[in-house]
Amino acid sequence: MGPDIAHLEVNKGNHMKICLVCSYGGHLSEMLQLMEAFEGHETFFITYDSARTRGLERRYLLRNIGTNPLLMAHAFFSIFRILCREKPRLIVSTGSEIAIPAFYLARILRIKTIFIESWARVTERSGTGRLVYPVADVFLVQWERLLPKYGEKAKYEGAVI
Amino acid sequence: MHPTGFERLVREMDEVAGKIDEEVIMQIGGTKYIPLNAKHFGFGTEDEVKLLCQEARIVVTHGGVGTILNVLQGGATVVVVPRLGKYGEAIDDHQLVFVQELEKKGRITAVYDVESLEDALRKVDSKPAPLAKDRSLVNALKTYIGKFERK
Repeated sequence: MGPDIAHLEVNKGNHMKICLVCSYGGHLSEMLQLMEAFEGHETFFITYDSARTRGLERRYLLRNIGTNPLLMAHAFFSIFRILCREKPRLIVSTGSEIAIPAFYLARILRIKTIFIESWARVTERSGTGRLVYPVADVFLVQWERLLPKYGEKAKYEGAVI
Repeated sequence: MHPTGFERLVREMDEVAGKIDEEVIMQIGGTKYIPLNAKHFGFGTEDEVKLLCQEARIVVTHGGVGTILNVLQGGATVVVVPRLGKYGEAIDDHQLVFVQELEKKGRITAVYDVESLEDALRKVDSKPAPLAKDRSLVNALKTYIGKFERK
């Protein structure tokens, strides 16, 4: 019997699995700034393949979608498979377009979502933000000036720095 | 990581590098123009770029969030040249608005016309203190995450 181990598992308490979705570059930098918020939870990344993202500990690497509709369709399937396998309780994204398939699939799979619009977006919504706004459970912007461009759901809670 | 080059800035910085005594090292990314007066490379790893930013007296960068975050926390003086939509350097002018906003907050020196880059570089010289991190967003996220925990 291993009562100690079983006990430890139970005592993780409200520990949950969180999927972090972002492209590389600035969006990843923003996510890395926020990692402290996920402490105590299990996290894994869905991001694009690059030298930098290969260094992440738990990650699924996709090809950069950009504006290619075929790659976007392919990403839907890849992310669907990943989400079914990992069964995260929550998805957090700082953008960009890789969040679109993840957030719509999350809606179908009943996974909660938090979207954080990029720090770089001061007065204009990003294309991704516009598309995921209707399906996100929590939607945050990093500049108060951007709030009027979105609906009531959008909140300002500070910025990455 | 911006696959699109930024020739306007790389070309001007190269020209300035030929006129000043200080060493200039450039990450030129996807830029086709090859600098003549400065050491340069395409894309460095995150650690390489971070180290260079820490060692630098001044960092000149595009208006990208990643670099600006790194540099502001490292403590070097930041000179930012926003990419502009009209030159095909970015999808739109969000970098311009972002840089104007950071400039208003006094966190960076902005250069909108690359011709004035040399002037700007000669004027800035102070090494500001590293920026303290604003914890409000991290704390807010913790609260939201807490609400999603299974009871």
